[in-house]
Amino acid sequence: MNAILRWLSDLVARIVRTLDWPLCLALLALMVISLMVQYSAGNGSLRPVFAQGARFMVGGAAMWALSRLPAMRLRTWTPAIFALSMLPLVAVLFIGTGKHGHHWIDLKVFYFQPSELLKLSLPMMLAWYLHREPLPPRVHVVLIAGAMIALPTGLILLQPDFGTGMLVAVSGVFVLFLAGLSWWWIGAAAAGVAAAAPAAWFWWLKPYQKDRILTFLNPESDPLGTGWNIIQSKIAVGSGGWIGKGWGQGSQSRLDYLPEHTTDFIFAVLSEEFGWVGVAVVLSLYLFVIGRCLWIAAQARDTYSRVLAGALGLAMFVYVIVNGGMVSGLLPVVGVPMPLLSYGGTSAVSLLAGLGVVMAVRAHKPMHVR
Amino acid sequence: MRLRPPRRHLKNLVAEADQFRRRALFGFAVVLVALGGLAAWYFKLQVIEGEEYAQRAEANRIKPRPIVPGRGLIYDRKGRILADNVPAFRLDVVPDKAGDPKKLVAELGKIIALSPEDIAAFEKTRKATRSFRPVTLKLRISDDEAARFAVDRWRFPGVELVPYLNRRYPYGPLLAHVIGYVSRIDEKDLETMGETNAAYTHIGKTGIERYYEEVLRGRIGFERVETNVEGRAMRQMGVQPATPGADLRLSIDLDLQQAMVAAFGDLDGSAVAIDPRTGEILAMVSLPGYDPNLFVNGISHADYKSLIENPSRPLFNRNVLGGGPPGSTVKPLIGLAGLESGLRTPEFKVFSTGEFHIPGQRGRGWRDAHGGAGWTDLRKSIAASVNFYYYKLAYDMGIERFDSYMRQYGFGAPTGIDLVGERAGAVPSPQNKATYSKEPWYPGETVNAGIGQGSWVATTLQLVRGTAAIADGGLLRRPHLVAARRDGYQSPWLPLAQPEPVRISDNPANVRAVQEGMMGTMMPGGTGAAMARGASYAMAGKTGTAQKISRKGNVSFNPHLLPYHLRHQALFVGYAPAENPTIAVAVSVEHGGYGGTTAAPIARKIFDAWLLGKMPEPDPDAIPVAPPVVTAVTAAHAVAEPAR
Repeated sequence: MNAILRWLSDLVARIVRTLDWPLCLALLALMVISLMVQYSAGNGSLRPVFAQGARFMVGGAAMWALSRLPAMRLRTWTPAIFALSMLPLVAVLFIGTGKHGHHWIDLKVFYFQPSELLKLSLPMMLAWYLHREPLPPRVHVVLIAGAMIALPTGLILLQPDFGTGMLVAVSGVFVLFLAGLSWWWIGAAAAGVAAAAPAAWFWWLKPYQKDRILTFLNPESDPLGTGWNIIQSKIAVGSGGWIGKGWGQGSQSRLDYLPEHTTDFIFAVLSEEFGWVGVAVVLSLYLFVIGRCLWIAAQARDTYSRVLAGALGLAMFVYVIVNGGMVSGLLPVVGVPMPLLSYGGTSAVSLLAGLGVVMAVRAHKPMHVR
Repeated sequence: MRLRPPRRHLKNLVAEADQFRRRALFGFAVVLVALGGLAAWYFKLQVIEGEEYAQRAEANRIKPRPIVPGRGLIYDRKGRILADNVPAFRLDVVPDKAGDPKKLVAELGKIIALSPEDIAAFEKTRKATRSFRPVTLKLRISDDEAARFAVDRWRFPGVELVPYLNRRYPYGPLLAHVIGYVSRIDEKDLETMGETNAAYTHIGKTGIERYYEEVLRGRIGFERVETNVEGRAMRQMGVQPATPGADLRLSIDLDLQQAMVAAFGDLDGSAVAIDPRTGEILAMVSLPGYDPNLFVNGISHADYKSLIENPSRPLFNRNVLGGGPPGSTVKPLIGLAGLESGLRTPEFKVFSTGEFHIPGQRGRGWRDAHGGAGWTDLRKSIAASVNFYYYKLAYDMGIERFDSYMRQYGFGAPTGIDLVGERAGAVPSPQNKATYSKEPWYPGETVNAGIGQGSWVATTLQLVRGTAAIADGGLLRRPHLVAARRDGYQSPWLPLAQPEPVRISDNPANVRAVQEGMMGTMMPGGTGAAMARGASYAMAGKTGTAQKISRKGNVSFNPHLLPYHLRHQALFVGYAPAENPTIAVAVSVEHGGYGGTTAAPIARKIFDAWLLGKMPEPDPDAIPVAPPVVTAVTAAHAVAEPAR
């Protein structure tokens, strides 16, 4: 009897040893909130709740599996992982489906969005490349790293998917930033982006993307079309007040005023039903997750683990800011999901997998460092 | 020898870790500030301005509603209305407010007649629209139905009688193939037009209505309307006015159009009259026609079936979609090509024996229907339609050169008329043949092409354009239907710009010779002489007959004795007055037999109508009312529903 108990407790200990419990608790809280909001956004239907729950299980399993993988081994595999993740990114250009471009590959069981993989594999690749170089990176290293970022970003922009492309690029840039990229470079890049913006407007953006930006600047100009989303979303957020209208009581979301209220606009539903308090709680949870990632990164003993874990944490920050800003009319609508809250498989799984990598960094510190 | 590599190539692990910590700390600070800022922004929206937004959520009954501009009117060249808008009522449903749609349709069906087409269209659009947006269930509610609905209105929340402007074509079939029609917007249209434009209920499907859709449609405006619990409009809060659609003035003359239809009598076919000096189309018919009014609010299955199954194909616009061998009507242009290429002079004569043989080939040759015509020059070849002349000319030119000249004269390519889906037609050539046959090109086909037979496909429109070019001294113009537009009732008419004409001959003497040949056609000895008898003006033309079956052996037969569907296509092209042309026509009569006997008399009636004002009595049933002054329908109208 005692032997069995000991065996069991050993097993449990083995299983959970690599997980980072503070992170897990925060994620669990976010998942529970997600399921609750999905329930009310789905007008009381349990189907989306179960579907999202299933994705969390898959993502959680991926997270656990990755957390058990020694970071050193992950590092060795990184170039191969990066190469493999590029394949579907090319394939989606030819066989993809999607409303405004070729974003998804239809795998019959579910839709797979290859660009999501790059949110994880690109930072890994950059971290792999930079850990071999003395830091702060020299000029040619920065240029090569820039090319590594540009390649997948360019492919994603071809789909065209501006939102994801931007996020992938940013997750790569964070690796460079954490690796000590000189402030001069950062300033020059910022100036470059500002200078390129008008060019992008004329040659690059699709009409519907321009529409979104113009409508963002003046939503009242097209209250029947694109402006509708922003106006209604803002009303949903604002009418939430201090503590919200209560779970399942959001009139904006229930009456179908809110577009895409289970995916990109889920945060508006949360804001309406749980008010500013709900928003503050969720933002605090994200802050905690990001902070924990950075803390774990700071404890790591090798460059690869360090910059990777840090960059993954910072990437999550961008999603939160962009999505939170767009549903409240602070930023234009670019189609960025709210991490874990939004309905959608590939995003949730890749996010949890990324956090699995962070946990691996915490659990497996290399014996000898380079 | 160095003991240590340069320092900057070595990793300094302690420094890297320090560097990372500084960057991570900086990053976290940014995150903290940004998330704090976001929280503050939400605090501003939710706590400080929360009350205001709560009211707006409550007041989501204040909705933007589209203001649909009146569709532009269409006039004839003398300002008579050919397409207008009449106020009507339709039944709109807001699915959000109306409850179960199946039950609703069943209940409403008891007081208002709903056809299966109405219900199907409603179901389709309902699924493609957000549930708080109104969807049209039935158009053109009768006064009776409106009254009955008014009594029972309380039973149907979310159902509303909405005024709108209904398109009307006062002349019905007379202009069906010119103006076309509008019809209800379907799912597919919605996809291309975008959600905002769903409010236009109708969209141009064919003819002028389709080609000028964007111009006629105008731009949608919107107003903020306060609605009550049932979703009915109560009060207007603010307006962004709509831009009305532009009016169009056609070059079509209604009287001439009527005369043209009358000239055909019971015959099927097509005709176009054009002003050779401008390319303006004066009249254009394709017979039989159909009533475009049937399509405006959704045609019934029975009506549609009868149109589709009619063997005479009333929906088919023969002028731009039809086409076949042009027969002898292209001889003037082929003759011109002979002169332009330098192979012929106007005086050059060939001796027509009645049978043409390709040099070096023996056996049966190509015959002339009328036997040997003796010595024949260009003028005689046109006037008497001597095939021999053209067999030899085409053979001497060779198919490549022949093809290239015919393309210059506008065959084998759309004319660019302001209608959608025009057919390009085809000129016989080895390249063209290769697209449909594996057989090589035979010299005999070149000979055959010389009299407008073989794999030629020419539309009536191409024929009239070529004829007008000869009439106008060699200028090929774009035929067009719309002469001018105006943006609003008070604005001046602005002529639409037309492309520069293409000069098809640099030598006026060449064109003149061809013109003289065409005048000869209408004089004693010419194939069209009977048609011109007793006319007070001179005319020029060319008759033609396009074979449906090939002649077997040496048998001469009377085409009028053939079974109807095998009879030849009778053709005529011409212009008048011969010395100062103001009108050019092409007439094609299906199964008409010979061009000279059926097509030419129709052309004469058209000339008489245009030049002498010999118009038929107007149809008393087809007199339009004064134009309605309504330019847009707003919800303000909706408040005032018809009283019982």
